[in-house]
Amino acid sequence: MFDLVWLIPIFPAIGVLINGLLGRRIEAANRSIIHWVACGAVGLSFLVTCIIFFEMLGLPAEERLYEYTWFNWISGGVLQTFVAYQIDPLSMLMCMFVTGVGFLIHVYSIGYMGHDEGRYYRYFTYLNLFMFSMINLILANNFLLMFLGWEGVGLCSYLLIGFWFTDEANAIAGKKAFITNRVGDFCFIIGMLMLFCGLGEHGVWSLRFSEVFPNVHLLSPEVITIICLLFFAGCTAKSAQIPLYVWLPDAMAGPTPVSALIHAATMVTSGIYMVARSNILYSLSPVAMAVVAVVGALTALFAATIGLAQNDIKKVLAYSTVSQLGYMFLGLGVGAFAAGMFHVLTHAFFKALLFMGAGSVIHAMSGEQDMRAMGGLRKKTPITFWTMLIATLAIAGIPGLSGFFSKDEILWLAYSSPQGHFLLWLIGAVAAGLTAFYMFRLIFMTFFNENRASEEVQHHIHESPATMTVPLIILAFLSVFGGYLGVPHALGGSNRFHHYLEPVMGLGPGKLLQKAGAVAHEAAHHGAEAAHHSLTAEYILMAISVVIALIGIFIAYTMYIKKQDRPKILAEKFRLLHQLIFNKWYVDELYSFFIVRPFHAISSFFWKGIDVVIIDGLVNGIAAVVGWSSRVMRHMQSGYVQSYAVSVVLGTVALLIYYFLQMTG
Amino acid sequence: MIEFQNVYLGLSAVLFVIGAIGAITRRNAIVVFMCIEIMLGAVNIVFITFSRANQSVEGIFMVLFVMAVAAAEAAVGLAIFILMYRKRGSLDVERFNLMKW
Amino acid sequence: MELIMLIICGALAITTSLMVIFARNTVHSALWMVASFFSTAVIFLLLRAQFIAILQIIVYAGSIMMFIIYAIMMLNLRQEDPGRGQTPATKSFGLILLIVLFICLMSLGVGSGVMALKGPITDQLMLQHGHVAVLSNFLFSDYLLPFEVVSILLTAGVVGAVVLAKRKE
Repeated sequence: MFDLVWLIPIFPAIGVLINGLLGRRIEAANRSIIHWVACGAVGLSFLVTCIIFFEMLGLPAEERLYEYTWFNWISGGVLQTFVAYQIDPLSMLMCMFVTGVGFLIHVYSIGYMGHDEGRYYRYFTYLNLFMFSMINLILANNFLLMFLGWEGVGLCSYLLIGFWFTDEANAIAGKKAFITNRVGDFCFIIGMLMLFCGLGEHGVWSLRFSEVFPNVHLLSPEVITIICLLFFAGCTAKSAQIPLYVWLPDAMAGPTPVSALIHAATMVTSGIYMVARSNILYSLSPVAMAVVAVVGALTALFAATIGLAQNDIKKVLAYSTVSQLGYMFLGLGVGAFAAGMFHVLTHAFFKALLFMGAGSVIHAMSGEQDMRAMGGLRKKTPITFWTMLIATLAIAGIPGLSGFFSKDEILWLAYSSPQGHFLLWLIGAVAAGLTAFYMFRLIFMTFFNENRASEEVQHHIHESPATMTVPLIILAFLSVFGGYLGVPHALGGSNRFHHYLEPVMGLGPGKLLQKAGAVAHEAAHHGAEAAHHSLTAEYILMAISVVIALIGIFIAYTMYIKKQDRPKILAEKFRLLHQLIFNKWYVDELYSFFIVRPFHAISSFFWKGIDVVIIDGLVNGIAAVVGWSSRVMRHMQSGYVQSYAVSVVLGTVALLIYYFLQMTG
Repeated sequence: MIEFQNVYLGLSAVLFVIGAIGAITRRNAIVVFMCIEIMLGAVNIVFITFSRANQSVEGIFMVLFVMAVAAAEAAVGLAIFILMYRKRGSLDVERFNLMKW
Repeated sequence: MELIMLIICGALAITTSLMVIFARNTVHSALWMVASFFSTAVIFLLLRAQFIAILQIIVYAGSIMMFIIYAIMMLNLRQEDPGRGQTPATKSFGLILLIVLFICLMSLGVGSGVMALKGPITDQLMLQHGHVAVLSNFLFSDYLLPFEVVSILLTAGVVGAVVLAKRKE
């Protein structure tokens, strides 16, 4: 069955071809065929993934690596690249939840996009194309194919953000996402080339993971650090970290299922996947690891503060996503690759659920996204309310739900792991409290109190159709129980998730010791020390983070249920701070001032100065000279035969003189 | 080298230039045509001179063909003159600026 | 003897040609042209090209000139039209150009003509067999194809003349 791994990407590809090429006609005939094709394609992919996944689980841990070479893709000189897929615990894990969550969101989209006339097929084509790219990104066994998927998901993201492109703001948001991502992609390419050339110097001309990673120790530490930082720069764009996170909140301009699928659950986690995939590379560069951890922690805190004051329901979730992605990078940065991946998994469940719930709310509110106009939806949309509440509890880190296990593991390792630090833990814990606060603010503003919308909107409020609520319920279930895959030892679990990923994160400190010398030696030393930390510390930290989360929830409760005038008073009191947060720390304005405007200025200089004056001037000048000389020379074309005869004589004389000179000379 | 070869050639050059002067300066199309015939005659003299100098017949045949072409040219040319005269009422070459756009 | 004849005929040819260009009356031009052709024919004779000389008289002085005079008469073109005169600048330019041309032709012609290879058609051979006989031997063997092509050319000329001059109904 492993040899059929190519079926996983091929189904969405077929879906793209059918819907993309024939979609217009199909939609005119019978639009239900479109979603049957699209959902069927992803469903089949999910099915194949499941079969392969369970087959892989049946194997002993050491044998869980299989590479399937499909066909020769690029072969030129030393570069031999194949379209080849790699089956290992990491890729199958990602593939499982990408196709699984993807399938649910496809189904959900049937209900959500049902009212969209004439663009139904385009929507599902893009969605399937996204699945195809994402699967390629995940399953690729070399960096180049991964990059293909990386670019492909970026493209789909752009297409889907600007899906309602008739509204210019959406088109601009799409462009912003695309351009921001290009910055990161460029770094990724450079990093990839450096890796390729760097290893080539040592005779390993390959981009295959299974050939690259066992040989990276050949590279000098500086080169590894640069490569890692370049890769991470790619991740900051794709996974929305400081400084390139700015596109993600704007990406909420797209349809809500897209926000759920691409901008919360799957695509934005590809950066984490990439770092986790390259964990061996990162393990060799403490500097890069530190950068990853610090950037992740700062992003977690920074985005959480912005989330406090947003009023658009999707914007809050977007900043929450940025913040949670920061957590994942924090986890990766302190060497807890498995914990980071674990959070990716749980986050995919509850964040997709939150977005889909938000979509359901927006659906119920006839397109209204401002939370100030909502309220009291608890009774009218009970399924949405309960599922969203579960997700909110999960993201807040309430014990027993999935978010608790993954987030807590990250926080614990941020403190205890050799690369960890108390400050990292503190930032993470504070961000967790903020997360709990703004998520419950969202819930309270949306589902409690009186409805603040207009009469007409209130009249239309209704629970969403089954295609939307069933995926919500399934995801709610996963949000609750997904965490039990990785219950830590401290809580009496066996942390199966860790063991599951061990083959991929296989070159642990012990093995690296032999290969990477002093750096890793030190790390391993610390690692051994860390293991001796008492369990008490873990319990204490766990309790503290839970308490912080509860405090956050409590404050939200007082502010938005009990004393509803509080937010205003507070905003008045801390006016400057409120303005800063409300305007997202003016980061967009800063970028606009320091990057976009100078760039505009330079561009318009090149346009008006260089292009218009010099280049156009050159071209127009040549044309003018030709025109002028033609006007002058036109007089030679008098039309009189005899003047032509004179020219003939002139030519003859010239020739004769030439011969004469030849003869004498 | 035959006797007085240079005299023949010089004579030919003189005739050729006289023909060229006429062809360029005269305005009557028929006179221009005749001047061209003078130039052809001058060329013919050169051909015959070299033919004799080289003791071959090529030059003579060349002259033969030149004459044939001249005859054909005369026929067609005069037909054109008649046509032009009908259209324009004149054979002044300065009025024949048809080649100007 | 030959030189005297040559000088006389050459002078005659030059004079008559000059008269062709300078005559105001087109008919006079045509008549001077006939004289010019005759003197050229004599020069051909001096070059031992009897057949060409005869052709010169028959084709040029006979048929072509007859054509021309006929056309002049028919179109009644004795006087040249008073058209746009050429400017002195144009005239002097043309003159200088032609003088240069003459100088070039002279210098090239005088220096040339020395060929290492001499063909088999000597003057003696010509005298022995006769000019026409020698030429016709070549014309109907080696030069048959060009000869036939020329005949097609002449036919085309005739047809073209007819088509052009035909009055449209």
